[in-house]
Amino acid sequence: MAAPVVPESDSIRRAVSLLNAVDPGRFPRLVSRLLQKLHLKAESTFSEEEEEKLQIAFSLEKQDLHLVLETISFILEQAVYHNLKPASLQQQLQSIHLDEDKAEAFASAWAAAGQDTIEKFRQRVLTPQKLETIGWQLNLQMAESMQAKLKSPQAVLELGVSSEDSKNLKKVFVEFSHQELFEFYNKLETIQAQLDSLT
Amino acid sequence: KGGPGARRAGGAAMAAGAVQGLGEGGGGRGFLGPRVPAEVEAMARSVQDVGKETFRRLLKVTVNALEGKDCKESVRLIAESANLSEEQLAFLISGMYTLLREALRLPLSTFKQEVMVTKIPDCFVLLFSFRIPEDFIVDFSSVVFGNRRPTSEGTALIQRSRLPSIQDFKWRVDVAISTSSLARALQPSILMMMKLSDGTAHRFEVPVAKFQELRYNVALILKEMNDLEKRSVLKIQD
Repeated sequence: MAAPVVPESDSIRRAVSLLNAVDPGRFPRLVSRLLQKLHLKAESTFSEEEEEKLQIAFSLEKQDLHLVLETISFILEQAVYHNLKPASLQQQLQSIHLDEDKAEAFASAWAAAGQDTIEKFRQRVLTPQKLETIGWQLNLQMAESMQAKLKSPQAVLELGVSSEDSKNLKKVFVEFSHQELFEFYNKLETIQAQLDSLT
Repeated sequence: KGGPGARRAGGAAMAAGAVQGLGEGGGGRGFLGPRVPAEVEAMARSVQDVGKETFRRLLKVTVNALEGKDCKESVRLIAESANLSEEQLAFLISGMYTLLREALRLPLSTFKQEVMVTKIPDCFVLLFSFRIPEDFIVDFSSVVFGNRRPTSEGTALIQRSRLPSIQDFKWRVDVAISTSSLARALQPSILMMMKLSDGTAHRFEVPVAKFQELRYNVALILKEMNDLEKRSVLKIQD
């Protein structure tokens, strides 16, 4: 039998008993909400205020609430990692003694939004910089200080590159003459051919 | 009662004169602009008394200067052997330098044809009005339109007003087999590394969808460039 997706550690056991005690009415929405925000790294899903409201709603102490939220997130991350089918997920959860209704809630939330979440994780990159925006301008240069009567088309490409540390987009401006742009295009075509050969 | 009306008329006449003066090869001072640079006039005056040999040596020095080479030594030698004062030398060389620099702004393509026959292009005809000897004008012409044309690698002739262009472009296509979030990711991604002419280097990942967008846009710009080059505005002869 394959290794269980959710290991039966002490903290998991404790979390499961807390989860089982949680009001089943609000549970599905909580799972969906956590699933929605799963792919966003540093942000915590709930603000301070919202956490306080949750503590009251689920009658949990702060520590316990954190454990519950983290465990739900962990379970969902494992589902993503192993690309589990909803039925599998439900089975796994029941085998660590999660109540049937709660396991079902996980399974339906996963069935609804699981594939989207996996796709979002696929798009995540490890490199610090990523190309986000592409803009361009085509100019006709008529003259400049060292040359008259030019009439040469120039293209300016504006590449917006995001950096993991800062929120700002770094704008990289690159100028191309007709010939230079043509050469660049040929290189892009080569890359495309490589991508095509993968499928 | 002349007043504002007369001033307006005077202004209009001046503007008309300026417009006539501008434009290469047209009326007025042609490629030298609406007002001939002082050093060119000064050179024109003194060059009449300069021997052919000395003139040729001065021309060589000027071309070297345009190419960004160091000419201190050559200038010193000319000063000694040609019996010219420092001041005269300064006028001559700076005038020739300005003349050639302005003439070199004109694109070669426009003039090749006529120079083969007459040795002096139309735009240089105005030099006769400065009383520059015909031989010298022919020499000037051969520098600008012949095979002695200075290469533009020299500092004086490099096109400065450009945004950085790509100097080196490297790329990689990776397929992520597995990540910390996904046991089986199988997601292709593209890594690009661009070195630009201003010395900066940029390395970034391009998601496949963004890559398609980039490719599409570049193709679009190329198409627009082709259309632009075919349009009549570019066929206007000047």
